[in-house]
Amino acid sequence: MKKYLLLLFVVPLLLVRFDEVSAQAYMAEDGYVEFISTAPLLEFKGVSNHLTGLIDLDENLIDFYVDLTTIDTGIQRRNRDMRSTYLNTDRFPFAEFTGSLLTDFDSENQAKQQVKTLGKFSINGVEREIEVEGTLEPTPDGLLLEASWVILLDDYNIDRPRVLFYELAEEQTVNISILLYPRE
Amino acid sequence: MRSQVFIVLITLILYPSILFGQLQRERVEQDTAVELTFMAPRNINLFTVEPLSRGELHYSIMHTFGEVNSGAGDLWGVDQGANVRFSFEYGFGDNFSIGFGRSSMDKVYDVNARIALLSQRTDGSMPISVTIAPSVGINTSSFGFLDEDYSFSDRLNFSLALPIARKFSSDFSLMVVPMAVYFNRTGPELNISDPEINTYYSVGIGGRYKFASRTALSFQYIPPLTDAENLTNNIGIGIDIETGGHVFQMFFTTSRALNESYLISSENGNFFDREFRFGFNINRLFRIR
Repeated sequence: MKKYLLLLFVVPLLLVRFDEVSAQAYMAEDGYVEFISTAPLLEFKGVSNHLTGLIDLDENLIDFYVDLTTIDTGIQRRNRDMRSTYLNTDRFPFAEFTGSLLTDFDSENQAKQQVKTLGKFSINGVEREIEVEGTLEPTPDGLLLEASWVILLDDYNIDRPRVLFYELAEEQTVNISILLYPRE
Repeated sequence: MRSQVFIVLITLILYPSILFGQLQRERVEQDTAVELTFMAPRNINLFTVEPLSRGELHYSIMHTFGEVNSGAGDLWGVDQGANVRFSFEYGFGDNFSIGFGRSSMDKVYDVNARIALLSQRTDGSMPISVTIAPSVGINTSSFGFLDEDYSFSDRLNFSLALPIARKFSSDFSLMVVPMAVYFNRTGPELNISDPEINTYYSVGIGGRYKFASRTALSFQYIPPLTDAENLTNNIGIGIDIETGGHVFQMFFTTSRALNESYLISSENGNFFDREFRFGFNINRLFRIR
């Protein structure tokens, strides 16, 4: 009798998982993300090829994150400063976005389609609701997502040098590009 | 029964991610080297374990002025002139750098190396960072007034520092620095505490506490472990400011010395009698390749 009770409890939950993560889900762990800082005297970008993402069209779920310790700005000391001083990656290792599509997307249409998403973006332990526009393009291998948006460091409590030098811009442009494969 | 409870618990733990289908967040690397134990290769005057990466060039200019108890007329020591040290240090590898510097006190040029022997790890498998820093200095002062001039060999001094540090938290780091120095020849003409002593040693202590994201309090204490006359405690307290590419270090210290050889061998004022000096370092990092 206990076994049946257990099954009654567990099976529905498992069914939720396998039912919901269906063939319309796409995923990848090697997407590209760049943060571009354009200060008056210096422009640089930090890049990573460890953007991990999931798009579940059935559930209308978009979920992305990147391990911020993988961001490379081209200068080791700047990387260390970025991790320790600005982004506090010991405590907040990820930049992440979780949201949903606001616009329709036709996966049968092979053309690149403009999409708009609404979701929560968090970095440095601060979460804010943002709208992101981008494109989704079905390819023979999966779905290609490209998107771009701007964040203000102050919005996320990211401190930056204000004494004497302004090498880190307040406004950061975030660009992502990721080819997502059908999730098995 | 136990296995059933286990299954239920696991299911409950996984339930949110199952229900909402979000990705499980995973770090790319679980274990990395602890970074920025200190803001710069030196903490006030002591070498730190903070390494340069390959291709990085670190430039610093350091100053100490006269004692502040000289009063307002001398702008609390600034008018008494400064001991100035400039140095360049280049990272030939991520754990190996070579530096060159010149201090105006006794006109000493020095060549030094820093080799990171151990690095503290984030997973705790290595709790400390250890660096070895040997250096050779040459005194280029004119000693023509002496009956017996200094030969090339007489002018040399050798020092060895072994910073051992731990970053206890993102804010607090502490290090102990065993140090030894040998002067080939000494005399009253040198700015050292005891002209009869050639070998000096000590175990310095240094630390920093970040009270804001880019600002830290720092300190150093170098006790007089050598049985030498006029050798007393070297005490320094300061503030570090990181400004994006530059690190400014402003401090009060009891010694004019700015290099290893003289840090543990030259005279110090009594900190509590206001026999300390203002000093500052400016650190700048360049990427060469």
